[in-house]
Amino acid sequence: MSPVLRIAANELRLLARTRVAQIAVALVVALSAVAALTAISQGRESQEIRSRFQAQADREFDGQPARHPHRMVHYGHFVFRPLPALAGFDPGVDAFTGSTLFLEGHRQNSANFGDVRQSSLLVRFGQLTPAFVIQALGPLVLIFIGFGALARERESGLLRLHLAQGVGARQVLAGKVVALAAVAGLILAPALIALVWLALFGGAPAPAVAMLAGGYAVYLLVWVLITTSVSALAPSSRSALALLVAGWAVSAILAPRLATDIALAAMPQASRLETDIAIQRDLKKIGDSHNPDDPHFNAFRASVLKSYGVSRVEDLPVNYRGLIAMEGERLTSALFDRYAERQFAGQREQSRMALILGLASPTLAVRSLSMAASGTDLEGHRRFLQQAEAYRYTIVQGLNRLQAEALTFSDDTNRNRDPEAGRRVRIDPGAWRRTPDFVYRPASTAEALTAALPGLALLGLWAGLAGSLAWGAGRRLARGAG
Amino acid sequence: MPAPCSSSPAIEIRDLCVNRGGAQVLKNLQLTVNPGEVYALLGGNGAGKSTTLAVLMGFLRPTSGTARVTGLDTASEAAAVRGRIGYLPETVALYETLSAYENIAYFLGLSGARPTRSEMDAALDAAGLQAEARTRRTAGFSKGMRQKVAIAMALLREAPVLLLDEPTTGLDPVAAADFNRLVSGLRERGTAILMVTHDLLGAADCADRIGLLAGGVIVEEARPRGEVDLLGLHRRLGEAATG
Repeated sequence: MSPVLRIAANELRLLARTRVAQIAVALVVALSAVAALTAISQGRESQEIRSRFQAQADREFDGQPARHPHRMVHYGHFVFRPLPALAGFDPGVDAFTGSTLFLEGHRQNSANFGDVRQSSLLVRFGQLTPAFVIQALGPLVLIFIGFGALARERESGLLRLHLAQGVGARQVLAGKVVALAAVAGLILAPALIALVWLALFGGAPAPAVAMLAGGYAVYLLVWVLITTSVSALAPSSRSALALLVAGWAVSAILAPRLATDIALAAMPQASRLETDIAIQRDLKKIGDSHNPDDPHFNAFRASVLKSYGVSRVEDLPVNYRGLIAMEGERLTSALFDRYAERQFAGQREQSRMALILGLASPTLAVRSLSMAASGTDLEGHRRFLQQAEAYRYTIVQGLNRLQAEALTFSDDTNRNRDPEAGRRVRIDPGAWRRTPDFVYRPASTAEALTAALPGLALLGLWAGLAGSLAWGAGRRLARGAG
Repeated sequence: MPAPCSSSPAIEIRDLCVNRGGAQVLKNLQLTVNPGEVYALLGGNGAGKSTTLAVLMGFLRPTSGTARVTGLDTASEAAAVRGRIGYLPETVALYETLSAYENIAYFLGLSGARPTRSEMDAALDAAGLQAEARTRRTAGFSKGMRQKVAIAMALLREAPVLLLDEPTTGLDPVAAADFNRLVSGLRERGTAILMVTHDLLGAADCADRIGLLAGGVIVEEARPRGEVDLLGLHRRLGEAATG
């Protein structure tokens, strides 16, 4: 057995005989295991609930009686975002953004403009997920186990005894790194088992699972290297512990919060209230279809009459009220889309900036990677909103088209005065059943992996930095023994 | 790695200068210890005793001059040098959750040795550690017991050179006498021993030569087996210690 492996094996034997280390590792492994089991069961349960409610919402929409199409436009429809297979592992922004939208005519759901950027690890402290356990608690346990690995041995003279056997200082450091990495593997094991289970039985894509497993392994390795290096470099074991705990607090607690706040301050977004006011102001500018003097709708009417070669809306072969509804929806939706795109663009910039700030913390880097690979990042939420909006526009315009083509202008105008007209404007309920159901198309595995690459690159950078620190610490350790 | 010369001294220090923290700790130190010889280096605090050991162990690089162990340069061949040295620190640190056997097996394993239980028992017998203590965790071991474990390690390594750092400090008179006997036994086996100590009487009991180190140089050397004025040497040691 090489000296490095011998030192590592001895370190693990010592840990196995130290009650505090036993308790710390057992606790975090138990937490990780519970989080993994919870992730699997809650993921399945949550998915079942969403599927059940989506089916119920579809049934209720399809089961509506004969109605005027515009009544159905206002009846609306609920859509649920299917839970990504890895959402139990890392819920990401899902808990903050919500996964349910109510779709109806003339309005775009307000969640589009929700303040979804506010998520941080502080808020997420309530969620026991494998991602949280590894991101926040894993490094802390590694610190408590590893802070004295070299500092204490230097203080006691054991380091000198090692070197006196002809072992190099870097070999001693490497042995400690291997031992602490084995502990990190133990901490990671329950989550890895959960990931493999999700890949085999939960429909999680294997490449994304591999990306998560690799990313978290690198993340913990970074902490192993940092912990061991600081233990080698610090003047005493006590100062090593203080330095490492302070570093953990900054990296795992403060940095995510600060990164969000800095991104928000550097690229401020309009609040939801400001956005709502601005939208209402712009809506008024679009025009009023009920106002006979409204310039836009007067021009629209003129162009319709001209294209059909008639002089009165009553002479049109289609129901002009349906055309008006379609035009109104087109205009308002375009306005909503503009605001949503502006908001999305701002949020993307903020996310990009927060990612760059990930240079200051490996936790930020792994969080970015984890959410992207799990499909629970902000981009996934935007994808859902955009697809839901496209679906809303399709069904609303379909109903408006039904109003234009299946109803006469005369019946539609007199439906409240003439009971027969009122009966004729009620469309056969088969039309609701023919409305397509909402089918969410998640990001492809390739897209998810591409989104996770920046986080992986940052983690790689951190691993390089931590490796260099360890290399330098080995040199200092040899000198420090004299 | 150059082959050591069998006829060369076990320890050979020539014109050794070491500067630490802006001060010259060793000044052109000359020292030779031959195989089968015990050399006691005496001196007050700050005289340069521990620095000399650190240089010989390869933990410190000389500012100038050379230090060789069995012909190997301690600066450029530190790892090989350590493989030829048995080292007994002033305070022997052992893993407290491991037994004496486990400590010995682990540390010797690092240098590639694989002592059997009977070999360890023989070494521990020679070092004087009671049999019932050998399987116990070393957490409750006294300084003397720890030292015996370290001595057993040194014996098992069969290193040609033994460096002892204040070996009898903190030992009761009986344990110190036992230790001195052990050192004499090692000398008989041909081991070159350099011990740094404050204990003049102990040194006189087992050393072949005594060097008085003061201000980074050996100011006086004596052979206790011949005619030596121990009281005079003790007085001069005190004077050297107080500067």
